[in-house]
Amino acid sequence: MINPRAWLLWVAITAAVIMVASNPLYALSLLIVVQMVKMAQRKADNAYDLPLLRIALVILILGAVYNALFVHSGDTVLFIMPDLPLIGGPITLEALLDGMANGMLLVALLALFLSFNAIVPVSDLLRMTPMAFRDVGVVILVAFTYLPETRRHLSRIREAQAIRGHEMHGFRDWRPVVVPLLVGGLERSMQIAESMVARGYGSVADRASSPAEQVLLILCLLMALVGWVFALWTGWPGWLILLVSVAGVLVLIWRRGKYAKRTNLKPNRWTPVDGIVIVVTLIALVIIIGMNTVDSSSLTWNPYPIVLIPDFDSRIGFAILLLAVPAIVGKKREAERDN
Amino acid sequence: MSRALPRSVYILSAIVGLLAFIYPLISKQILSFNPLERGTVESPLNSTMLTMMLLLICLTVLLLELHGQAVNAKVVATLGILVAIASVLRLLETAIPGPGGFSPIFVPIILAGFVFGPRFGFLMGSLSLVTSALVTGGVGPWLPYQMIAAGWIGLTAGLLPKLENKRLQMIMLVVFAFAWGILFGLILNLYFWPFLDGASQTEESFQETLYRYGAFYLTSSLAWDLVRALGNSILILAIGLPVIQALDRFRHRLQFDLAK
Repeated sequence: MINPRAWLLWVAITAAVIMVASNPLYALSLLIVVQMVKMAQRKADNAYDLPLLRIALVILILGAVYNALFVHSGDTVLFIMPDLPLIGGPITLEALLDGMANGMLLVALLALFLSFNAIVPVSDLLRMTPMAFRDVGVVILVAFTYLPETRRHLSRIREAQAIRGHEMHGFRDWRPVVVPLLVGGLERSMQIAESMVARGYGSVADRASSPAEQVLLILCLLMALVGWVFALWTGWPGWLILLVSVAGVLVLIWRRGKYAKRTNLKPNRWTPVDGIVIVVTLIALVIIIGMNTVDSSSLTWNPYPIVLIPDFDSRIGFAILLLAVPAIVGKKREAERDN
Repeated sequence: MSRALPRSVYILSAIVGLLAFIYPLISKQILSFNPLERGTVESPLNSTMLTMMLLLICLTVLLLELHGQAVNAKVVATLGILVAIASVLRLLETAIPGPGGFSPIFVPIILAGFVFGPRFGFLMGSLSLVTSALVTGGVGPWLPYQMIAAGWIGLTAGLLPKLENKRLQMIMLVVFAFAWGILFGLILNLYFWPFLDGASQTEESFQETLYRYGAFYLTSSLAWDLVRALGNSILILAIGLPVIQALDRFRHRLQFDLAK
């Protein structure tokens, strides 16, 4: 079992690599790597899985058609569009393939996050919420705990209404189902609130943000805005301002979370396997960054003016292969035992 | 003064968030406005990452500010249950007949925001999206965008006036739901548009960018969004009044507090 924090690092680095290595051959290899990791590590109780293949087809076709209609450069002309504003002109093979390559990037990113969802359990994700957001965390936890209950409640109501001859045909038929569900749920929330108070929830005195904190929040927002604009204009000085703003937000998160403690029945410990995953993904990142600084065109693909088969550098291929490390070293997660 | 500070947090975050959302439309204008005349960030990937960071800061600041308000156990429990109901409704889109591509998640967000006010509405919107993303395995870089946009739906619903004329009020809510049904898709498609947009040229007027995005939106998701907008407004028409009554009655119990 790989630590969820190690997974987070793996996802962040793989996402960065996908975005930098936009050559479609690399995007395709990354997609394969991501799918491999997913197959090796997906949790046993993974109920939902979006139809990746269908979504991928839609994105690829959309990307190709849209790009071909709007980009008219490239030498291999397929046919000429009649003279419409902006989209009129030659439709080229290069533009079509370039659009598809852009779509490929999105597909790889989507696949990456779908596999992250298929691997890391919700309980681990919730556990990583910073303590400053504990109330938000509790809201999600309440929602999550009462999801199955609410679903049962709903089917009970539908059964009861069906006995009375109620059938679901149109929108109007939602009313006899939704209103009892809502009223019952609100009653339930009163009980939850009472038992929360009985257990001492919210007993810490005044936690609303102080004026000083609010001023700091405003400053952070202003700095983020200024930093963003400057980063777009000049690069690193803007990034620096943006980072200061991030630091400010982090300080506030730390201050808010300082007095709260969370206990874990089964804490996620770091293991040597996590170390291997982290080190190997970092090596992959270093290789990619190195290749990018030496020759930034080695990672991208430019089909214009005439389309050629994209290059495949074996060193970049090796780095991408390194990202498959969680598929090899990690032990597969067993079905959840702690609930 | 005591209300001016939180208000400026909300207003500023709305401005910052909106800028982050529409950046792909105005990127040429921002870059050409550069008074420093130095090397600019050319790659759309770089600016997308920057903008995503801006949006994340905006969302975190908003949540930090709202968090100070949601300390009451009753509010936390009510939010949790309402979020659960919203998520169940979203999951049930196949179980209860409705037109294809229709997801009723906006209806509870709008109605709860309308009755309980903008703060509750924002939390309701963004947390509903988180919860259903956790259930359906939809956590990803798109989630902060969805959270902010859905939060805005609840927040703006809370700013709507409470009208004496119930019929007029229903018409207002139906129009509101329809408008957000379209607007939600319109602004949420913006963030991944730069990835698919190979045609961006540095010399381009705002109208031309808008035209290209319009074409993209028409081909990619207008039909889908129309179905969703219509479905949500019809559902509000069908169940809005009794739901508002139920929530309104509950609101008095929710606000009852001995310590104040």
